[in-house]
Amino acid sequence: MSTSRMPETPVLRPAHYAAIGLSVLAGLVVWVIGLPSSGSVFDTRLADLTLPAALVVALAGISLVGAVSAHSRWRVVEIVLAAVLGVAGGLFLWVVAQSWELVTRPLSFYPPATAVLAGLWLLPGVLGGLVLRRPGAAVFVELVAGVVEMALGNQWGFSTAWYGLLEGLGAEFVLAVLLYRRFGLPAALLTGAGTGVVLGLLDITFYYPAFSAASKSAYVLLAIASGAVIAGAGGWALTRGLARAGALAPLASGRSAERV
Amino acid sequence: MTALAWLDGTPGVNPRAPIARAHPVAKLAAALLFSLGLVLSVDVVSAGLCLALELVALPWCGLSPGALWHRAWVVLVAAVPAGVATALFGASDTPMESGLAITLRVMAIALPGVVLLATTDPTDLADALAQKLRLPARFVLSALAAMRLFGVLAEEWSALTMARRARGIGGGGPVSRLRDLAGRLFALLVLAIRRGAVLATTMESRGFGTDRPRTWARPSRYRLADAVLVLVAVMMVVVSVGVAVRLGTWNPLWR
Amino acid sequence: MVAGQPVAVVARGWGWRYATRHAWAVRGLDLDVAAGERVLLLGASGSGKSTLLAGLAGLLDRGTGADAGTGEEEGRLLLDGVPARAARNGAIASGQARTGLLLQDPLSQTVSARCGDDVAFGLENHAVPPTEIWPRVEAALQGVGFPYGLRHPTSRLSGGERQRLALAGVLALRPGLLLLDEPTSMLDPDGARLLREQVDRVVAATGATCLIVEHRIDLWTDLIDRVVVLGAGAGVVADTSPAALLGEDAQVSAGLGIWLPTVSGASARPPRATEDGPVLLAARDLAVRRAPAAPVAVQGIDLEVIGGRTLCVVGPNGSGKTSLALALAGLLAPSAGSVRAGAALDPPGHRAEPHRWHARDLVRRIGTVFQEPQHQFVASTCADELAVGPRRIGLAEAEVQARVSELLGRLRLAHLARANPFTLSGGEQRRLSVATVLATRPRVIVVDEPTFGQDPGTWAELVDLLGQERASGCGIVAVTHDETLVQALADDVLRLGRAARPDPVSERAVIVR
Repeated sequence: MSTSRMPETPVLRPAHYAAIGLSVLAGLVVWVIGLPSSGSVFDTRLADLTLPAALVVALAGISLVGAVSAHSRWRVVEIVLAAVLGVAGGLFLWVVAQSWELVTRPLSFYPPATAVLAGLWLLPGVLGGLVLRRPGAAVFVELVAGVVEMALGNQWGFSTAWYGLLEGLGAEFVLAVLLYRRFGLPAALLTGAGTGVVLGLLDITFYYPAFSAASKSAYVLLAIASGAVIAGAGGWALTRGLARAGALAPLASGRSAERV
Repeated sequence: MTALAWLDGTPGVNPRAPIARAHPVAKLAAALLFSLGLVLSVDVVSAGLCLALELVALPWCGLSPGALWHRAWVVLVAAVPAGVATALFGASDTPMESGLAITLRVMAIALPGVVLLATTDPTDLADALAQKLRLPARFVLSALAAMRLFGVLAEEWSALTMARRARGIGGGGPVSRLRDLAGRLFALLVLAIRRGAVLATTMESRGFGTDRPRTWARPSRYRLADAVLVLVAVMMVVVSVGVAVRLGTWNPLWR
Repeated sequence: MVAGQPVAVVARGWGWRYATRHAWAVRGLDLDVAAGERVLLLGASGSGKSTLLAGLAGLLDRGTGADAGTGEEEGRLLLDGVPARAARNGAIASGQARTGLLLQDPLSQTVSARCGDDVAFGLENHAVPPTEIWPRVEAALQGVGFPYGLRHPTSRLSGGERQRLALAGVLALRPGLLLLDEPTSMLDPDGARLLREQVDRVVAATGATCLIVEHRIDLWTDLIDRVVVLGAGAGVVADTSPAALLGEDAQVSAGLGIWLPTVSGASARPPRATEDGPVLLAARDLAVRRAPAAPVAVQGIDLEVIGGRTLCVVGPNGSGKTSLALALAGLLAPSAGSVRAGAALDPPGHRAEPHRWHARDLVRRIGTVFQEPQHQFVASTCADELAVGPRRIGLAEAEVQARVSELLGRLRLAHLARANPFTLSGGEQRRLSVATVLATRPRVIVVDEPTFGQDPGTWAELVDLLGQERASGCGIVAVTHDETLVQALADDVLRLGRAARPDPVSERAVIVR
């Protein structure tokens, strides 16, 4: 039995490569055709959003391929450890929620500045994705964390669950685009940034719709940066710390490729 | 952690109260309806009216005033600054009104969630999610078991704190205190994960984790009262939004 | 549903290797266990006993096709002629469990928030019809003599009660093969005895085949028919009856990693200091609470910790031993009375009460070894772990390194200097935690259950180590259930929770509550 490669690296078959090619093609098509010039969303004309839309289409296709190719049955120990990370994350988020008003008071001189700490909300999901390395991990962990935070009592009520789900999907999206094969620091930063985008967009839609366009952009950009640094780099460092402490031995992320 | 005493039932909750007795899915649906209905617009009328209706329904939830305050004070404490921030920095024509609207909306959305979760036993919630909403049982039950695991970690925390003092670590400036706290939290996480791995073995040894169908010792059943609860929630949202539209104050996101 | 038939176990050249290890956990195992037989599995640490039990429970997954599984298998492991993993899957499909597994850590064996639900969990997984579940749950709880009702919260159970609840969960499934992996090693003697009685009842009632892994065999000798000893990677090394094994001498048995009832603590007494040192700590009318709102754990205690003498604090679970130790160590403030340091301990400033000292001053004077070594680890390598204390008290780096190397050598941890403390085995973690305390050379050492769950080799080392410290003038306070440790080490004994009586070890009469 071959043990030269990590047991759970996803294998890409020709069909997968074909699907990736198709997604890139679809993205190119969207870009060439362009979006209709009437209508707007997020205070921007649709036509100006052609390039981002094309990128999203291409990446969405790739992420689907990633999710499908890396899909395998979860083992019980993986589910339970993901749940443990989720509950721990929920407790952590609850503490953050309780102290949020206090901590962001110094930043209230410039409201979009609260996005600097947005990465804290995103840490559980990114951590889940990096530790478990499989489709659905980030969503599950962030969702459980959100539900636990909500259950313990926070100021945002049910929307916490929605936020958890969507933020987790944001992290999942990035990991899927990377085909679940990359989990080093660059991948972690990207994942954090990706989930930061989601948080930024959610917040400016539901909590700060009355801000000016400039403030909204600043908010989203800060959320992305915060996600990358706090959730991405922080999550990566935490994963390494846990692996070194031997806590992740039953999982793929805890094993080196070599036998000890 | 006292917060996790929720697992053993919140004190001050009367589980026989009409809303507390309702099926967890009905309660979730109600909370969901409120959040969806109100989030679409920022205006004083829909948020304020909805909040008022919720407060009217509060006595039927079976929460004692103490328990309610205990769970809901965070909502109040956070709603006000959000409104103030909007009033001061928002880009709308009527900043004060927007600020008030945001405050009322935060409270109106958060209150049902707080109340409904405080009156729901987590085991019943897990049963409801897995049996009625057909969420995958392996994930729901693992999450429940993980919550139970954390409930008994409070003693570990005080042991960790004392052990660190015994090692000579403690005191010092805020930076070193923060570092000590981070170290303690990390150690607790490692211990929790290790326990979790053993818990997984225990659960598997009792037959957990296959994709074969399982039975449920505590069947989760809907009753007429659950439909009534959802209907009432729908009516509240419709009335609030309807009045706001009628008065012309409704201000949807997409405009 | 009829109770499960006793299962016969056959192993032919069975081996298992985890995916992350070079060495085979078990290799070349040939074993035949007849239905209804009761076997005690012994072997030194690392001989694969837990792996064998996990394999029998069908938990080891060699993987199929694209799924890599957790390791590789060779040979065959059969339950009534069916491979173990297939037997587990078949059991779940048919609703009749073949095996039941009981593990060591009570906290990780409780699944649900209520006792009845916890027992019902296994039945739900095996798709037992709901109408049958609750009668079987109640029968199982009665079968283990569980004192609480179905809705009692599991968060309020003691360790022993949790193990009995887990046993009830196993019993409800009526397995034909009972697998016990050191179930009593984390329980106090009373809890262990109770669990043993319940296992007796269960086995007698169901006639199930029984495989037990344990270090201390004095509890189990009446129950078992046969003793099998495993060697690391070498399969079965010995296969005898209990009587024959009891005849072996202490050397052989310690080498096999087992405790024999005949090994008495008295034979292991380390040399004592020639004369008593000064009074290091004095407690006067001491009362302690675990937490500000908790009830008083212990009160009215008067005692002295004297250099060169060991004080053992014994008593049943809940009698406040640990609270007392923590108060003496300066980690818990007394709720009444006082703990004062003697002049010989050189109290910093003019504060005589240890709980007021800065942590840096405390670690130089009083060292505490906690019951759970993992609570004390703060660094990411063993060498750094040992260096933490000396650095905190401000020693020069050269001196720090000297002490670190000395301790690594003395406690045989040199090969683990770069390893993360959390990855060490139980015995190694215990040695490391004791070493970290010795690094700052305190004059008082407080140890809480030092021999909890340890095998005989580590036990002897710890006794030696504490004896050496005592001989060099340290005062030692040891909280323990372990009567053999008391015999080996104690100069004074404080018995909590029982009537006062003069103590045979020393002429000092000992006060109690």
